[in-house]
Amino acid sequence: MRLRVQGRVIRGSFALRLDLDLALDGVTALVGASGAGKSTLLRLIAGFEPAAPAIVEVDGERWQDAAHPRRALAAHRRAVATVFQEPRLFPHLTVRGNLAFAAKARPRAGVRLEFDDVVESLDLGPLLARRAHQLSGGQRQRVALGRALLAAAKLWLFDEPMSALDADSRQEIAPYLHRLCRRHAVPVVYVSHSLPEVLSIADQVLLAADGAVELVESVAAFSTSFRKPLLGDEAGAVIACAFRRFDPRYRLSELAFGDATLFVPGDLGSVGPRILLHIPARDVSLSTAPVERVSILNRVAGVIDALEDQGASVLARVRCGEQSLLARVTRRSADELALAPGVAVQALIKSVAVRAGDVQADEGARG
Amino acid sequence: MDVAADIAQAAWVTGALALVSTVILLVAAPPLAWWIARTRSRWRAPVEALTALPLVLPPTVLGFYLLVFMARDGPLGALWTAIFGAPLAFTFSGLVIGSAIYSLPLVTGPLATAFRATDTGVLEAAASLGVGPAARFLRLLLPMHRKALVAAGTLGFAHTVGEFGIVLMIGGNIPGATRVLSIALFDRVEMLDYGAAHLIAGGLLAFSLAILVFTYRSLRT
Repeated sequence: MRLRVQGRVIRGSFALRLDLDLALDGVTALVGASGAGKSTLLRLIAGFEPAAPAIVEVDGERWQDAAHPRRALAAHRRAVATVFQEPRLFPHLTVRGNLAFAAKARPRAGVRLEFDDVVESLDLGPLLARRAHQLSGGQRQRVALGRALLAAAKLWLFDEPMSALDADSRQEIAPYLHRLCRRHAVPVVYVSHSLPEVLSIADQVLLAADGAVELVESVAAFSTSFRKPLLGDEAGAVIACAFRRFDPRYRLSELAFGDATLFVPGDLGSVGPRILLHIPARDVSLSTAPVERVSILNRVAGVIDALEDQGASVLARVRCGEQSLLARVTRRSADELALAPGVAVQALIKSVAVRAGDVQADEGARG
Repeated sequence: MDVAADIAQAAWVTGALALVSTVILLVAAPPLAWWIARTRSRWRAPVEALTALPLVLPPTVLGFYLLVFMARDGPLGALWTAIFGAPLAFTFSGLVIGSAIYSLPLVTGPLATAFRATDTGVLEAAASLGVGPAARFLRLLLPMHRKALVAAGTLGFAHTVGEFGIVLMIGGNIPGATRVLSIALFDRVEMLDYGAAHLIAGGLLAFSLAILVFTYRSLRT
């Protein structure tokens, strides 16, 4: 699917400039700080900003045109299903009623999943007779997700579907979301301000910052780019590894990362030859002398490429062959080790997250 | 005709009038209330004022203009006669039109208040599922506001039961057709028949009180 969005959306004193023309296949993550215009872009695509001075074109079909604002295609005719931050369930209906409402909506272009399949894949069966106020936050969002899947759509828009949930509910929903994104042929635009959440499933990344939205060329390069939304507590590198073999004795997969070998629990052979890993910066320690006798299996040699001073801590980019890792160390450690660009280090990786959608048995792996 | 039969007949006409007017209002008022609650048009204030006019206008003023409009040579009366071949003034149909206009603010007001508090996010969600505007209105908005609809309909019904001035102007006090309880009460008092007057007045008082208790209770829970 090809999406072209050009023009501006103005909300109060905030204006978002848009000049996008890109192919949407698989999962497109839309990241950026809150207030950067992520939801605004989704609203524009979904048809909730019909008066915006912008052009929206999907597969050559003009949905909206600044020159003819009255001819904008109404939201309900756009083959787009949105999952919002809040569940927005119909309060007077049961879960079954909510789902049926979507399933019976007027047909439009796109894929529409079967009622029973959606109920089964989201484990909604036991909830069908309940009303929205009888559900937990995570259950509500699961119903909202199911409802969106029952509407015909050729594009799914997920607007921070987990942001309003507590940690437990997130854990409950995440596997469903990630599986959905992978299993169906419908392209997804997934908005989030949580980078690990999207980097672990994204095929491409759109960055909203400074009143504009741009396409990021490489997810791996982007993850270590020190750009503003990537500097927080959740900073981490996305790296591509090659599957080498599974060691049944220790139940560890051996992955090639440049010249180094990474050990990840579980058999990842089914994932494919190329495996993307997310390595949080806070789980990477640095040593300037080789460390041999230590329980941490994953040790990678590299050279410090750049440092980002963040007060009490320092974020270091470590070049390991073609790719880079991020490590967060205390300011004191950085001074004592005299970390500076060009210094050779050994990166000790405490944990590795496998792309959640690829492996169902091993959502996160500790090494 | 004896007193009991007279009162029973007036009660029947009153009930029928209130029922038909309420049904008409429950069809006409929700779209109007939604428009008032949601529009950003500059016509909102004038339309809202026009709708609320019966609340402040002496019913006799409204009745007078309705009488002029519904008269045989009035614009509405002439049109009515051309279509149905019968006059409109001093008929039950004329009363229904007058009552609907008179009770419109009582039904539109609470509905507009309820609609203003609607979580539009839910309606957006429906649109994103492919549900068109008519279905969103009929199958989501109205069921979501069932309580407000019941309350508004009840108020409209009770208000119509209690109307006097308009009926006096355009009704003509014809037994079995346009003679309603409030007029019957007036007649009884004029005849110094206080026994029958007490019966009618007490009945209307009890009825109105019961309806208001029901309305406020249903709005709370």
